[in-house]
Formats: sequence, structure tokens, C-alpha cells
Amino acid sequence: MKNEVIVCKDVSKRFETERGVVDVIDKVDLTVEENELVVLFGPGQCGKTTLINVMAGLETATGGEVTVSGKKVEKPGPDRGVVYQTTALFPWLTVMGNVEYGPKSRGISKKERRERAQYYIDLVGLQGFENSFPSKLSGGMKQRVGIARAYCNEPVVMFMDEPFGHLDAQTRYLMQEELMRIWEKEKRTIVFVTNNIEEALYLADRIVVMTNCPTTVKTEYKIDLPRPRDYVAPEFLHLREEISAVVDKTL
Amino acid sequence: MGRFNDASKAQKSICAALAIAAFILLWFFATNGTNLGVVLAGPVEVFRKFFVSFVQPLGTHTIPGHILWSLSRVMVGFLAGSALGIVLGVTMGWYRIIDAIFRPIYEMIRPIPPIAWIPLAILWFGLGEVTKYFLIFLAAFGNVTMNAYAGVKSVDPVLIGAAKMLGASDRRVFTSIVLPACVPHIFAGLQIALGSAWATVVAAEMVRSSEGVGWVIITGQDTNNSVQILVGIIAVGAIGYLLAILMRGIEAKLCAWSERGK
Repeated sequence: MKNEVIVCKDVSKRFETERGVVDVIDKVDLTVEENELVVLFGPGQCGKTTLINVMAGLETATGGEVTVSGKKVEKPGPDRGVVYQTTALFPWLTVMGNVEYGPKSRGISKKERRERAQYYIDLVGLQGFENSFPSKLSGGMKQRVGIARAYCNEPVVMFMDEPFGHLDAQTRYLMQEELMRIWEKEKRTIVFVTNNIEEALYLADRIVVMTNCPTTVKTEYKIDLPRPRDYVAPEFLHLREEISAVVDKTL
Repeated sequence: MGRFNDASKAQKSICAALAIAAFILLWFFATNGTNLGVVLAGPVEVFRKFFVSFVQPLGTHTIPGHILWSLSRVMVGFLAGSALGIVLGVTMGWYRIIDAIFRPIYEMIRPIPPIAWIPLAILWFGLGEVTKYFLIFLAAFGNVTMNAYAGVKSVDPVLIGAAKMLGASDRRVFTSIVLPACVPHIFAGLQIALGSAWATVVAAEMVRSSEGVGWVIITGQDTNNSVQILVGIIAVGAIGYLLAILMRGIEAKLCAWSERGK
């Protein structure tokens, strides 16, 4: 039996605003196994980001519960890493400062955290930029720092919330390839959110299709295509068509 | 990139020099060629007096002496006011309870111009230095508090979340995220505060003092000496300008990371 790392049971989220009650997540059941790369795929604005925030502990569920390695998620914690939609790097810290922020917060000695940070900076291909501030980096490089920063804390699971959504098409393809390379080398449990079917198919072990708001799991696809995947292979295109047809349409 | 910057820098300095020269020429011809000369001293006279005052005292001090007197008053009041302003602004921004207690009082005091306190300050602290420190303190404090407060309020909550996700304690979130994020705002406040403090010292010295640039101006008025008034005004302007440049330099060093700091 495989090791279940993330378990969402009956997770719901309701926001109470001045204009009334909004249900964003409706009874989501989801398990993610160790070292699995699960893509949450669904229409834009459907509540995927909220779901990932609940799993990360940045927001609390109003119903049901999330456990990571058996522990109930109630608040942010370093066993879960997040790579953000907007880069969310600390602009006053250098690349090195950003990447070593997690270990430093947890009181790891300077020598050890520097070594580890350097390893991940090299892994994401940013050697030579250790002392650059984020404002000097391109969009793709910023996301590499974001990935290195999340990795460097050595979390049990990583949540990636449309990390390549703001990149231009060319850089986006490159970053997908890079993420695969990094992940093959340093396997982690990853939950990746996207509304781009091509990206979902390129990355996923399993695609979880979400419905429109309030979101819930519509259906799942296990993706067994060999890696690295070919965007124009017949099986790829076939799955792309099939899944696209299933997704709720939004304006 | 570097060469482009150097070129535009040189261009800027040339423009600045030309503009100042044109202004002085205009001043020269206006005071020499027209009746304006009766009420306004010409630049030659004024600048001669200005530089002569470097060695020949005006009253009890030379011009650098007067400037130093005013500067020292500004520094005491400015440093004290800024320090308290940063502490109050940041803590008000971060702790709701401090916000709830202090902000109403602060918001009532803030719109009062420092010079409105002069009569009361004289009543409380007499005619000596403390009154001047107090007025400059108020000038700096008001501006810095406001900006430090706004700085904390504008910290991106995503960054705070990111720090927490990486395992940062509340204390570390405050020192490593909130404080650095505020620095550019605090500097904008310090910049305004310094200008305001410099304006206030002149006003305070014009009320009662025996030295300082405000004294130079007010005794010029008392003796109907428009040359001396202008000497004082030039000193005020020049030092104010230098202080602003100095401040920007410090800001650029501390905020090398931000777009503003570059």
C-alpha cells in the first residue's frame, strides 16, 4: 500500500462577506500519495487557490479537515512549502537570502543552511545570481528562486499555485521542463494548480478536474504517459481533447 | 547601461547649472535695470556679503556658525521626533490595541502646525533651547509617524504568509518582513520631516534667539537690511537642499533592493 501524505476529508470553505455568504469549496475529498505530482485542473476563479491555501494552512477550512503526514493542518508551517502565483519573493533579500530564509527561520546553522541553499540555487540553475536582488531578475528567474526557496526548507509537500501563469509562453514551456528535471532529481509530493490543460498534461501523475465555484472534484485522470512528454504525441492530444471536453466552461 | 546613465547624469547637471545661472542673471538685470533694485538687493551684493560673512561675523557668529547652531537644533529635535515617530508609527500599524489607544490622539494633534505651539511652548519651556527642540520635535514626529504607520499597513499579506509558511515565528515576521518593508515609507517620511524641521527652526529662531539662520533673517528685518535677509534665505535654501541630497544618499544605500532606491 502506498503512503498517503495529504488527506482532505469533506473540506469546505465558506466566506462570509458584507455582501453575503459565498461557498467556494464544497466537500472536497482528495488524497495525495508520497512523491506524487497531482495537478488540480479547473476553470479560472473556481476556488483552486483557496483549496491550496486551505491545504497549506494559510486559510482555515469551514468544514471537514486536512491532514499532512497524519497531522491536522491548522496554521502555516514549514512542513508544507508554497510556490506562489505572483513571485512573493522578499524584495529586500538577495537570491541567497530568500532561499536560506526557511532554514534560517528554523535556526539552522549558517554553514549548513548556506550549503543547502547553494545546492538548491545550483539545482534551479541560478549559480552566479546569489547576490542579486529579485528586482534585477526576469520573471522566469524569479520563479526559479521561488522553487528553490520552497525546496530549501525540505518540506514534506509542496503546493504550487499557477507558478508559471504570469510567464510568457516560451518561458512557460522552459519552466515546465525545468520543473520536471528538478522533480525527477529531487522527488517531492507536489500539488500543482493550473488552468492550462497542456501544462497539466505535461506535468501530472494524476489530474484532478475541479468544477466551477463552489468547487469540488469532478473527475480524475491517471496520466501514465512516459516522461519527458511530447506536447504533440497522439496520446497527449487525445487526452487533451478528452479532458478539455469535461471541464466546466466559464466566461 | 552605465554609459547611458553617466551621459544623462551629465546632461542633468548641465541643465541644473544653466537654470541657476539664468535665474541669477535675471535677478541681476531686474535689480540693476529697473526700480526693483530699491526693494531688493542684487545678487552681486548678496553673494559678496554671504561669502564675507564666512570670516566676518554677523552679530556673534559667522555664517557657518549660524548654520551650525540651526543645524544642531534641527538634529536634536529631528532625531528625537523621528525615533519616537518610527516607534509609534510601526507599533500602531502592527498592534491593534496600540492603534486603538493612540491613533485618535495622534490624529487630533497631527493637523496642528508646529508653529501654532510657539506661545504654549514658551510658556512651558521658556525662551531657551528646549522650546526650539520641542517645536522641531513636533514637526518631525508628525510626519514620520504617519509614514511609518502607512508603511506597516501596506506590507503585502502574501509576503507575511510566505514567511510563516517557511517557518518564521511572529517575532521574525515582524523583524524580517514588516520592518524592512517599511523602510522606504519611513524614508519618505524622514525626508518630509527634515524639510519641515528645517522650516520650523527658522520660525523658532525668528521668535527669539541670538544666533542661527532665523536670527540672521529677523535681524535683517529689524535693521532694514535686505542684503542680510537674503544672505539668511540663501543659507536656509542651500542647507535644506544639501540635507535632502544627503538623505537620498542614505536611502539609496539602505534601499538598494527597491525600485525607488536605485
